[in-house]
This record gives sequence, structure tokens and C-alpha cells, in this order.
Amino acid sequence: MHAAAGTVSAILAAPFEKNAEDRNRAGAASERAASDEAGLIRSAQRGDQDAFERLVRTYDQSVLRLAMNLLRSPDEARDVYQEAFLKVFRNLHLFRFDCSFHTWLYRIVTNVCLDHLRRRKVRKEESTVVDTPDGPVDQVTRLAEEGPGADPERQTWNRELSDGISAALENLTPRERTVFELRHYEGLRLRAIGDILGTTEEAAKNCLFRATQKMRSSLETFV
Amino acid sequence: MKCVEVVEQFSFYTYGEVSPEMEERIESHVAACAECAKELARHRALLEILDRREAPRSVNESALLAECRMDFRRQLAMEASAKPVGNWLDRLRSLTLFHIPMKVPVGAMALFALGWFGARFTPAQFGGVQAGLAQPMFSNVQSVQYGGSGKVQIAVDDIQRRVVTGGLEDPHIQQLLLDAMREESNPGVRVESIGILRNSADSEQVRGALIDALSHDPNAGVRLKALEGLKPYASDAAVRKTLANVLLRDDNPGVRVQAIDLLTTHHDDSIVGVLQDAMQREDDAYIRTRTRDLLQAMKASVGTY
Repeated sequence: MHAAAGTVSAILAAPFEKNAEDRNRAGAASERAASDEAGLIRSAQRGDQDAFERLVRTYDQSVLRLAMNLLRSPDEARDVYQEAFLKVFRNLHLFRFDCSFHTWLYRIVTNVCLDHLRRRKVRKEESTVVDTPDGPVDQVTRLAEEGPGADPERQTWNRELSDGISAALENLTPRERTVFELRHYEGLRLRAIGDILGTTEEAAKNCLFRATQKMRSSLETFV
Repeated sequence: MKCVEVVEQFSFYTYGEVSPEMEERIESHVAACAECAKELARHRALLEILDRREAPRSVNESALLAECRMDFRRQLAMEASAKPVGNWLDRLRSLTLFHIPMKVPVGAMALFALGWFGARFTPAQFGGVQAGLAQPMFSNVQSVQYGGSGKVQIAVDDIQRRVVTGGLEDPHIQQLLLDAMREESNPGVRVESIGILRNSADSEQVRGALIDALSHDPNAGVRLKALEGLKPYASDAAVRKTLANVLLRDDNPGVRVQAIDLLTTHHDDSIVGVLQDAMQREDDAYIRTRTRDLLQAMKASVGTY
């Protein structure tokens, strides 16, 4: 009886133990990664250019993607990449491990992106979204979709939806847009977003609320 | 909860950004309210639609990334070459802790230059001693006595330099390096010796010397170098014990950071108490975070009760 109970509990426990093992393994891997990263940062702080380049390469793809998604302009994304990483290079000696390097880096990147978005609001130019008789259209996405496709009707629907989303995003303030991008597309927690933007979790929450309300009213026809 | 309050929370609820209590309240309300259930479905549909935003595919991402990297490398090279020397105080600061190997040769060069110019510009009447001494590196006058008939007797301790060359496997060389690790007056020599000996840390004697340097050397740069040498032995009980002591007692946060980073490479329950102690007394935010993460990964409580 006891043996049977033991077997049952062993069987029941097995998947959990396996999950725990996986978690431990994942935890150990992330600790190793954090330790490697801390080493890289310290080497870069001591002037090791190779370490700095390795640090850049750990994050530059996601930085470029974030800039591209926020600004929808390859030229501006390229500028953001250069500006952000130069700032990192010039200020790395000030990084004191008070927060994660990811948060510190994203603070720089989002600030540079916000500057670009704000400048764009003032100049009302350079955005890839242009006004047409059919409404605002994101040229970057359109170029991609006008290749040979299977279903023209579906293509039209996708294009309309994509343009609608781009226009809705353009309708947000730079700060709302950044919060929304980081929460919805980058999957960051509101607390982390608050840290990145140098504000409180509550303020980031309010921003997200306003952004989703605006998106909802802009995209009502698609919902 | 009123319907309007529930609907307001959907923006956060759908992202998992509400407390478990709030989540429960929303779910029980939605289960009983058809209007709010419909509203939630609409909100989810909006998020689903937003997920279908096309990535700007017209851009070749990998080509753009390659371009960015190339441009940045160029800019970095320009930045590095245009970098101002900075003020002397910054330079001096940059020589602390991590630049001991540079500080020592620079200091030695300065002393050498001082000696050379000093000898050239010293008046001739002080140069008479030269002939009697076989060019020692350092001389120390122990006593001076005037003999009466114009003769002076001076007792001089000379330190003569000789160069010893040999392989690392040579026990004589190893012993000299071990002695150099304890060379009190010259941290640069200690750092260099550790740097050479760390590759022989499989020898118990060398590992013991590294542990000793990590525990007792007054210079943080030397302790860091010793810690580097002990990295491959992070699972060794004596090394872990030393690392735990360093984490609790070393006054240099840089050394403590390295200690916790190295401790985290192996999980072993015997250090739980040390980590909990560290949580109590550590001021450095990074070390506290690492320690807490490690305790949580080991499923140990973060505080002591």
C-alpha cells in the first residue's frame, strides 16, 4: 500500500521535478549569462574595446528592431543605433550596476527614440506614414506587401489593417507610443518600462491605458 | 466591482499586470456579467489585431544591421582617436585598482629617470664613492665613521639585481614566483606573479597561495587577480569558503561582486547562511540583487528569521 502510494506520488511528482530541473538549468544558464555580461561590462569600462563590441552585439539587433518598429524608418533607426551606442560608449564608466544593463541601455535607446518621435511631431516629416485620398498609409509596409501574393482580397485586407495600425500608432503621443511598443510588442513589464523611462510604474500604467483607449477608438472598424 | 471599473482594468488584466486579488475579482465579475464578457472579448480582439502589425519587411534587416555595425565601428574608431586625454585627476583615478600593472612600470620609469638625471647633475664631490661599488641597484648606508686621519668608514648594504630565467615547471622559478606573491612593497610584482602562476593553480601549493592572497592581500587589484586565478576551482570547498568570507568581509565592492559572481556558478546549500548574512549587511545594490536571485534559485529564504 505504501509502496503503491510512493509510486503514485513519484509519478505525480516526476513532471514537476523535471520542470524544477529545467528551471534550475535555465536559472543557472541565465546566471552564467549575467555573470559573463558583468565581466564584459567591467572589461569595457576598463577600456577593452573588444569587450565593448561584444556587449554591443549582444543587444544591437533588438535595439535596431525596437527603433525600426517605433520609427518605421530605416534611416532614423540607423541614426538611433549610432546615437544610442555612442552614448553607451561615452557613459559606460558611469554605469554602476544599480540596475540591469538591459534597463540602462533601453533607457538610452528609448530616450533617443523619443527625441526622434518628438522632432518628427514638430517637423511632421520623415515618417513613412503618408496621407493619401484613402487615408494614411505606411509606405514601408506597403512596399513589402506589393510583391507577388496569393490572394489579392486578403492582401487588400492586410494592407488596410496594417495601415490602420500604423495610423493608430501615429496618433499616440511619443511617450504613449513608446510605452505601448515596450509593453505590447517587446513584452516588458510595466515596472521595467517605468524604470526605463525614468518614471513610476503607475505613470507607465496610465500611459498604457490612454494608448489602448486611443488604439481602440482608431481601430474600431477592425474589431 | 462596478462594470465601468472592471472594463477600465482590461488594459492591464489582459497583459497580466493586475494583482492576483484583482484578477480574481475581474474574473468572477466577467463570469456573471454578459456585457463585460463581451467587452473583454472585444478588447482581446483588438490586441490580436495589433499582433498582426506587419514588420517593415521591405527593409533587409540583416543588411541594415550589418551596415549599422560597420558605421558604428568607424564612428567608434574616430571617437577613440579623438578622445581627449582628460584632466589629470581623471587619469589618476583611472589608474586606481585595475591598472596596477601599468602604475608600477610607470613609477619605476619615473624613479629610474630621477636617479639618472640626479646622478648626472650631482656635483662631482659627491661622486667619489662610485669607484668602490660595483654598480648596485640600491644602496643603504648603515653607519658612518670618521677615522681621524682624513679617512671615512661607511657601512653600505647593497642590493644587487640578477636575472633568473627558467620554465614554469622549474621548482626554483615557482618558488621565486610564490615569494614574489608575498612581496610586500610591490603590488605590481604580486599581480604579475599571480598572473603567471594562475595557470599552475592545479598545484595545491599555488592554489593555497592564491587563496591566501585573496584573503589577506591589502591591495584590491591583487585580490581580484587571485580571484581570477581561482575561477576554475569555484567548486572546490576551500575556495568556496574563501569566496564566502570575501563576500562578507572584503571592503572593496568590486572584489565582492566578483566573489558573488563566482559563487553563483555553483549551487551548494552550505553557502545559504553566508548569502543570507550578506543580504543583511550588503550595501551594494547589484550584489544584493545577485545574492537574492541566488537564494531564490536555491529555494532558500532571502532573510534570516
